[in-house]
Amino acid sequence: MLKFPKFAAVAALAFAALASPSLADGDVGAGEKVFKKCAACHAVGDGAKHKVGPELNDVFGRTAGSVDDYKYSKPMMAAGEGGLVWDDTTLTEYLANPKAMVKGTKMAFAGLKKDDEIANVLAYLKSFSESEAASAPAAAETAEAAPVETAEASPAAEAEPVEAMAVETSKGAFGLGRVAMADEIAAWDIDIRPDGTGLPEGKGTVAEGEPLFADNCAVCHGDFGEGAGRWPVLAGGQDTLLKDRPVKTIGSYWPYLSTVFDYVRRAMPFGDARSLSDDDVYALTAYLLYLNDIVDDEDFELSNENFASIRLPNEDNFIPDDRLNEPHYAKGLEPCMTDCKPGPVEITARAQIIDVTPEGEGDENTGGGID
Amino acid sequence: MVDKTDPQATKRAASRRDFLKAGLLGGAAVAASAGVARAAGEPLITEIQDWNRYLGEGVDVAPYGKPSEFEANVVRRNVPWLTSDPVSSINFTPLHELEGIITPNGLCFERHHGGTAVINPADHRLMINGLVDTPLVFTMEDLKRFPRENRVYFLECAANGGMEWRGSQLNGCQFTHGMIHCVVYTGVPLRYLLEEAGVKTNGKWLLAEGADAAAMTRSIPIEKALDDCLVAFKMNGEALRAEQGYPLRLCVPGWEGNMWVKWLRRLEIGDEPWAQREETSKYTDLLADGKARRHTFVMDVKSVITSPSPQAPVTHGKGPLVISGLAWSGSGTIKRVDVTIDGGRSWQPARIDGPSLPKALHRFYLDINWDGSEMLLQSRAIDDQGLVQPTKNELRAARGENSIYHNNGIQTWHVNTDGVVENVEVS
Ligand code: HEC
Ligand code: HEC
Repeated sequence: MLKFPKFAAVAALAFAALASPSLADGDVGAGEKVFKKCAACHAVGDGAKHKVGPELNDVFGRTAGSVDDYKYSKPMMAAGEGGLVWDDTTLTEYLANPKAMVKGTKMAFAGLKKDDEIANVLAYLKSFSESEAASAPAAAETAEAAPVETAEASPAAEAEPVEAMAVETSKGAFGLGRVAMADEIAAWDIDIRPDGTGLPEGKGTVAEGEPLFADNCAVCHGDFGEGAGRWPVLAGGQDTLLKDRPVKTIGSYWPYLSTVFDYVRRAMPFGDARSLSDDDVYALTAYLLYLNDIVDDEDFELSNENFASIRLPNEDNFIPDDRLNEPHYAKGLEPCMTDCKPGPVEITARAQIIDVTPEGEGDENTGGGID
Repeated sequence: MVDKTDPQATKRAASRRDFLKAGLLGGAAVAASAGVARAAGEPLITEIQDWNRYLGEGVDVAPYGKPSEFEANVVRRNVPWLTSDPVSSINFTPLHELEGIITPNGLCFERHHGGTAVINPADHRLMINGLVDTPLVFTMEDLKRFPRENRVYFLECAANGGMEWRGSQLNGCQFTHGMIHCVVYTGVPLRYLLEEAGVKTNGKWLLAEGADAAAMTRSIPIEKALDDCLVAFKMNGEALRAEQGYPLRLCVPGWEGNMWVKWLRRLEIGDEPWAQREETSKYTDLLADGKARRHTFVMDVKSVITSPSPQAPVTHGKGPLVISGLAWSGSGTIKRVDVTIDGGRSWQPARIDGPSLPKALHRFYLDINWDGSEMLLQSRAIDDQGLVQPTKNELRAARGENSIYHNNGIQTWHVNTDGVVENVEVS
């Protein structure tokens, strides 16, 4: 406990040093890690293609919204026409809060919260920008200095909580591990069951969910949950479960609403998980009910109070595992060894006719899927 | 064509005496043709080769060894059109290039839903909470002080073969069957950890959760958790690979690969299942009548011939041919594997070679003397519970074609007279 203030001071110092770097100080290696937050939507490097967002080679010096074969939002193109060119300053502002800088941009990304993350990701992007290639060595030099700083900071961060907490060890047979704290359990135990167990307090309406969905989800899932490209479809598909290519959505297939809340809160938006508030998730869940025609009132409010009363249409169609009742698994079947088929064996289907086995770049197909 | 293959002849050809006789003949033929091609001996032998004269690399060149450069094609491959993005996708084990029952770590197929999480083991924690006497947190160091066990298990994705429900589609057993691997795990029996926390008597289910960007979760019945589940930190002797859940993963032997939560960070005990996304939207098996099975945990009895197969054609012409394959069952060991070369008119038992361990891959062989005519190769596994691997048509009759998961139907490879192999289905 005595140690705590000292360690905290060290940590704070280290943080201050990291928090206000001059932009040239970005660390390419650390930036590569930060770029993971972007990688769901952007590619860089040799042969980088557009994904949800445009490829980011040579982004330094690029006029905003100017890559020919990428479909930008109108506001982004307008910003470029208005003279917005990407450089350290403009990118720093954009990445801190994309929607504040370019109102109406379709980049569904909340923004990087830490200045050092921005500096690092910019250093990384710079290494893929021709116009900035000359300054790259400078970034590489500082890259060597940076880890030293973090190495100093991390033992403090490591040691401090253990020192500060009254650690209660396990009373089990091995006496290994320590007792979990209430706030630790609360931080990780966010699962919700069909009966509503685990729901946090909160609420949100369909109308509130609509802009949230447009901003955070529609780039991948489509404005109406219809799915953009190959990204998952979230709405529709009612009456398709008996058809050749069933469309399994929240409305057509999922048994419980709790799964929607639980999953969106733990894993979406893809690449920026856990960034939504509980009220946001209520509103988005309400909006998904609306997109699936399960509620039809835009003022409908979903909350922890009324949550468990909502039923999804397909709930009753789930059954236990009864594979072993299938005829081919019947007990005591001795498989045939000779003269098992009356006549010559005919080929009834061939993979080569369909020809979808990947051999090179750019394979495309419309059939099948692993989900 | 294939129908000409007389089952009796097949049997005869496979008898050991005939096999040896034919083998000698075949060998003589090859030697003769080599002799015709050159008057003098083979330069590979008569001339001194570079590798025989000059020094190779020293012991300091490759601190972590890699496969020979001549094996560069033995890699995991993915199918770009299957999923929207490679960070939420799958790649496949190159089964056609592998032998024995153990999969090398770098070739174990990958499936994850938010990319590979990179976690420093010093920063990793495993929590047990819910219906326990004492909720606990373990560091990796704590976990390595529990008694350890080593066990060999296969891990198969429930969607393995999922692209083949509507007919043969992908030409290669890497793609039709490659969502499987088998390694020896070192870890702590899950039971020890749960007992350390003390499971309450109303604790009937366990929720396992990953620390990755998908925070993957699955509900597991407590009986299974206390039976043979393992919390593993090593595979094939070395630390888990990052893409296999480094530093910690759950092993749920014989059950759907999706349940083997990687980057395992939390185990919660409850009295009911949680109906998570991976056990409702996914990993439920839609039937022809619109009903969907849930909690289809156990992986089915299954086998496949890995060579010859479309990516591993017969290049040596007629004569001795090794038919090599894999069989497995989530219910236990494999009791027998039958192989047919005439599309299922007649079958003969294959030879199971190497260890026969429960819920692990089994290697089988059938050594034949190929007469150079077309073949329709199939294998059929039977496990120690007496379950027999069904045909694809039997499965379709029972389930329709929309199940995606649990396709353990018998695979057919067509071998033409040139030794080219194709994925087909037969009447
Ligand atoms: C959820 C998807 C998504 C994520 C995550 C994302 N972006 Fe974007 N980004 C986009 C889209 C879509 C656009 C196009 C915006 C428009 O047209 O309004 C874009 C545009 C941009 C642009 C402007 C490019 C140009 O040609 O004008 C930059 C720069 C950029 N993103 C950088 C990043 C960085 C750096 C990150 C990670 C810190 C990131 N983005 C994360 C989707 C994303
Ligand atoms: C960058 C693209 C992207 C964005 C943005 C995004 N998602 Fe997703 N979403 C995905 C992918 C990919 C999956 C499937 C992930 C997997 O493989 O497990 C998914 C899955 C889902 C599913 C489950 C679908 C099913 O059928 O099982 C829901 C529900 C969902 N997303 C809701 C949302 C919501 C709500 C938002 C906005 C807050 C959002 N997503 C933002 C890409 C995205």
